[in-house]
Amino acid sequence: MNETILHMLRDAPGGFVSGEAMCQACGVSRTSIWKHIKDMQDAGYNIEAVRNKGYRLVDAPDLVTAAEIREGLSTTLLGQSIVYRETIDSTNSLAQQLALGGAPEGTLVIADEQTSGRGRRGRQWFSPPHSGIWMSLILRPELPLAHAAQITLVAAVALNQALSRATGVQAGIKWPNDILFNGKKCCGILTEMHAEFDQIHHLVVGIGINVNVAQDEFPAELEGIATSLQAIRGERIPRAQVVRTVLEEFEPLYRQYVLNGGFGTLRDAWKANNITLGRHIVAHTARGDIEGLALDIDEFGVLLLEKADGEREKIYSADITVINQTIS
Amino acid sequence: MFKLNEIRELIRLLDETSISEFNYELDGAKLLIKKDAVGATVVTPQVIHAAPAPVAAPVAAPALVAAPAPTAAPVVEAPAAAAPVAKVEDKNLHKIVSPMVGTFYKAPAPDVDAYVKAGARVDEKSIVCIVEAMKLMNEIEADVKGEIVEVLVENGQLVEYGQPLFLVKLD
Repeated sequence: MNETILHMLRDAPGGFVSGEAMCQACGVSRTSIWKHIKDMQDAGYNIEAVRNKGYRLVDAPDLVTAAEIREGLSTTLLGQSIVYRETIDSTNSLAQQLALGGAPEGTLVIADEQTSGRGRRGRQWFSPPHSGIWMSLILRPELPLAHAAQITLVAAVALNQALSRATGVQAGIKWPNDILFNGKKCCGILTEMHAEFDQIHHLVVGIGINVNVAQDEFPAELEGIATSLQAIRGERIPRAQVVRTVLEEFEPLYRQYVLNGGFGTLRDAWKANNITLGRHIVAHTARGDIEGLALDIDEFGVLLLEKADGEREKIYSADITVINQTIS
Repeated sequence: MFKLNEIRELIRLLDETSISEFNYELDGAKLLIKKDAVGATVVTPQVIHAAPAPVAAPVAAPALVAAPAPTAAPVVEAPAAAAPVAKVEDKNLHKIVSPMVGTFYKAPAPDVDAYVKAGARVDEKSIVCIVEAMKLMNEIEADVKGEIVEVLVENGQLVEYGQPLFLVKLD
């Protein structure tokens, strides 16, 4: 119902919507409408009430609630079901639970704050309130398990394109799927899979975007490593619109990925958005560092590295550091 | 009729399992895939009703490039007993295998305890390890009930599709 009211307020040509019109649209009493308006005011919406005119939306807070995200969302799969929490341990954890409980494909789990946001290999993802997009998508692609990991590269393409379209920020993908601007990370993706032998039960694609995190707000250990869209652009960016754009960019790529039965032509899209290939890098793997030239990715998204002695190595999992910014 | 990519996929799947022989019949065409003593896969396409299904052999033939010891010509099916299984295995020892290529991690993070060690009790839903490829984390469940007898791979090791990761003594 808050969604209907919000929509009416935003759509009103003269600014005011009568309480009577809201009653009719929602099928409830004037008292009930008044209570909902009060709830919205408590949530941060500046709604003016004028006798004989009705209600007017003066200003809306930067929220990532279901109502805000749905406003103008043009997807047909991703985000059709939205679960919002003001605060949560990890959106990936809740998405996993919901997926095991049968939540439909495309379900979006999003929170204003994560208290234990996860990164790769047990690391924390800094997820303070009111300033980021901490979200997870439940996907159920019918694909061979061998092609599942490419979803992380496909998601990165969608994310990078979305940033460009929604905010004008021209960032790039560091293999496999970090989004970097001037060498600093503004978005990360962590995907978790639940599979039964040879069959994907579901994927949870966790996406973290530092939107309005002030540069000095990052913890000391992220200094020089992390950045935010606000820091890049020099202004606050409304989050719900970025979420919508991510869903809208991801949906057609995801459909293509499922249709292709894997990476296919999306490999070229990844390469067009990447900032790793052609550079000298260090791959920090669980078994030590490997240094070399990032040559290419194969049809599975695996990174091909050429070492100084000419030997080539396939990298499946690693943190990448670029040691030479010049393209050779 | 069998499609080339289907046969290829079948070979790939079977190659990584402990199944030594696979027999499949469809619309008069018959496909027999079996492993020889050293574990190589041998594909034997057969035509049961020779006349109506002449395509079986040519379609299957390209798949033979994957097999080191191919038997290209249609042959009479050998009795099952002729397919030797080299290893004598404890029937109660179950292998938990990797469902994908990736990096094996024994623990959720570098500085915490392993999910399981030799001697640990597991049931179907117990998580035994993570296999990662390109930041896709796959938590592997035991899928069986029993006791971990041996961890077959090292932390951080690259594991292949179907590679045994743990030996489990089933209850």
